[in-house]
Amino acid sequence: MTLNSEYAIEVHNLTKRYKGLSAVDNISFTVKRGEVFALLGPNGAGKTTTVEIIDTIRKPTSGKVTLLGMDVTRKKYNIIPRIGVLPQGFSSFDRITVKETLQYYSRLFCCRKTDIDGLIAIVNLKDKVKVQYKNLSGGLKQRLGIAVALVNDPEIVFLDEPTTGLDPRARRAVWDVLLGLKKKGKTLFLTTHYMEEAELLADTVAIVKRGKITAMGSPGELIESNADYLVVMLKSVDENVFDMVRKMGFAPVYDSHGDIRVRLDRTDDVRRLLNAIEAGGASFTGLDVRKPNLEEVFLKLTDETLVEGSAGIKEAQ
Amino acid sequence: MNLHIMNGAIIRANIIWANIIVSIKSFYREKTVVFFRLAFPVILILVFGTIFMERDNEIFELSIQDLNRTPSSEKLVEAIRLSKRFKMTPVPPAADAKQYAKANKRNLIVIIPKDFEMSLMQKMGSNDFDTAVSLTQLYDPGSFGVTTKIGVLDMVLAGINQEMSGKPPLIVPEPVSVLKKKYRFIEFFVPGVIAMAVMTASLFGAVNVNAELLQKGVIRKLCTTPITRMDWILSNVFYQFILAVLSTAVMLLVSYIVFNVNLEINAWLVVFVALDVFSFVGLGMILTRVAKEAESASAAADALMFPMMFLSGTFFPVEMMPEFLQKFARVLPLYYVNEGLRAAMVAADHMAALKCALFIGAFAAVVFVLGTMITTLGGETA
Ligand SMILES: Nc1ncnc2c1ncn2[C@@H]1O[C@H](COP(=O)(O)OP(=O)(O)OP(=O)(O)O)[C@@H](O)[C@H]1O
Ligand SMILES: [Mg+2]
Repeated sequence: MTLNSEYAIEVHNLTKRYKGLSAVDNISFTVKRGEVFALLGPNGAGKTTTVEIIDTIRKPTSGKVTLLGMDVTRKKYNIIPRIGVLPQGFSSFDRITVKETLQYYSRLFCCRKTDIDGLIAIVNLKDKVKVQYKNLSGGLKQRLGIAVALVNDPEIVFLDEPTTGLDPRARRAVWDVLLGLKKKGKTLFLTTHYMEEAELLADTVAIVKRGKITAMGSPGELIESNADYLVVMLKSVDENVFDMVRKMGFAPVYDSHGDIRVRLDRTDDVRRLLNAIEAGGASFTGLDVRKPNLEEVFLKLTDETLVEGSAGIKEAQ
Repeated sequence: MNLHIMNGAIIRANIIWANIIVSIKSFYREKTVVFFRLAFPVILILVFGTIFMERDNEIFELSIQDLNRTPSSEKLVEAIRLSKRFKMTPVPPAADAKQYAKANKRNLIVIIPKDFEMSLMQKMGSNDFDTAVSLTQLYDPGSFGVTTKIGVLDMVLAGINQEMSGKPPLIVPEPVSVLKKKYRFIEFFVPGVIAMAVMTASLFGAVNVNAELLQKGVIRKLCTTPITRMDWILSNVFYQFILAVLSTAVMLLVSYIVFNVNLEINAWLVVFVALDVFSFVGLGMILTRVAKEAESASAAADALMFPMMFLSGTFFPVEMMPEFLQKFARVLPLYYVNEGLRAAMVAADHMAALKCALFIGAFAAVVFVLGTMITTLGGETA
């Protein structure tokens, strides 16, 4: 039965409603075996709701989800041994040590020979085996959570925001773990706020906004099809420049370095902009015209404008 | 097919065992929790046991002022002493009895009047039964327990009277207890404390642990493992049962060592402790589920626990309460644990114990089924 399903995950017209709010609104997609799939979206977009329906924690309002050829609502206990889950904000028993936690979850899956020391090595917690959960730092907790998700040697691993709240080094460590899993041919399903994370890890990225998928494809494809505009960066000490740009009908924002960033839809606009600044007698010390990067494509697809959150502001939150 | 069932049972047992190990480790690594869990009921037993042990065969303090100071009055004092119910203090004859009582905080002073020997002689000589030799009892009516003391004194004096008159008593009471043997308050109290301690620990254990795990999202993670609701509830029940057995053993040990209680230890003890745990862990699971938030769950547990503690006969017999409260007590599940444990441990009345076991067993079954039905291991918290 499961042999003939080429797909690890099939989602068909999935909807989840909470009192009038459509947290997930009629979405469909498929994930192939061995594929790394990332749901990318801002807070409240419906990422967690989507994963948790797929990994059997929640029930859909309507639609059909099939995992490894099995319906999630009817075959929960057949599916569970074959998947691993890192829920958003993973947490475990305070007084139980790293090794004991892994032993515990491995026992829950019964009768399997889990290579606990191997798992500990994979997530690099060797010198923390005897530390109780509550005494681990956030990044270590998250890594333990990933190891826990692997105790049953799952075919599909779900990771809901595996790197949120981690410092850059810890984030890199988690990425290494996930790249290792990818190399092993596991199917990975992850959610993230970070485009760079999706770009680094994912074969396919689906961008979600208010419960809907607004764009889907490989990171390269997404940029290709959505980078139909230019980003102009102006370094300026002159405060008038910002107002001038705005008066021309564009939507400038300051980024984290204090530079002015403007999105322009046509090449002509670049010249218009520069001319206007020159005519106004204002000056700038640096100029950069380029294609948007992934972060900006993501923001465009989720917010339509750059106004609400430039990459810099988002990082700071 | 049979192999299949057995395999399933092994899997379930494995999962439950894993949970119990984690719970017990979490428990003993939290030293203050261990202390309070084991020490609290023991402290209750020690405190109440000490208070009421004195009640059972209390020796009263008795002040006597002998204004007569004759062989007769000395004989009377000696007779009272021989009753062994009083620790006697003489009051100097020169003292004013009222002032002495106030100054020395005495609630009863017996005064042997100056003419005691003389009137006694007169009376014995005249064979006059209408007049009696009087003995002044100066007492403080506002003092707690003074009536009991006077009662005991009257009893002692009646005995002395009767002996002096040389006639055998007409009526001799012969107390026959409804129980096979006489029991002391502490023997009534200890089974009550066991029932109550097991109830509180099970209820709050279930509520607190589950609310915390739910809030922290641990339950959401568990939902993605093969563990079922039934496994989870059974794990909670078994874990609490292990703690209950431990705590009961400590309570009984202390009761034996300190108070030398005379209580039957039989299989009923295990049955009632188990049913107590089942009922209140089940109730705790239901509360956690219904209340959703940790605070309201423990508030609800409080609201259920307090009436149960005071009205179901833990600290004093239900029969001491007004009729309507007695009726109310009969709908409280803890009442049946109390009654059942006492029937088993004090009276060794197996029929009564069985009856109580059926009641609490039915309650446990209902709560357990309900708990299994409504407990979710899901992230669907709304
Ligand atoms: N149990 C629930 N009851 C009511 N509303 C809910 C529930 N769970 C989620 N929602 C709502 O559904 C929407 C999607 O939430 P979800 O948690 O899936 O977002 P998300 O993309 O994971 O966000 P984040 O990046 O912050 O984790 C939100 O508006 C949220 O408030
Ligand atoms: Mg989320």
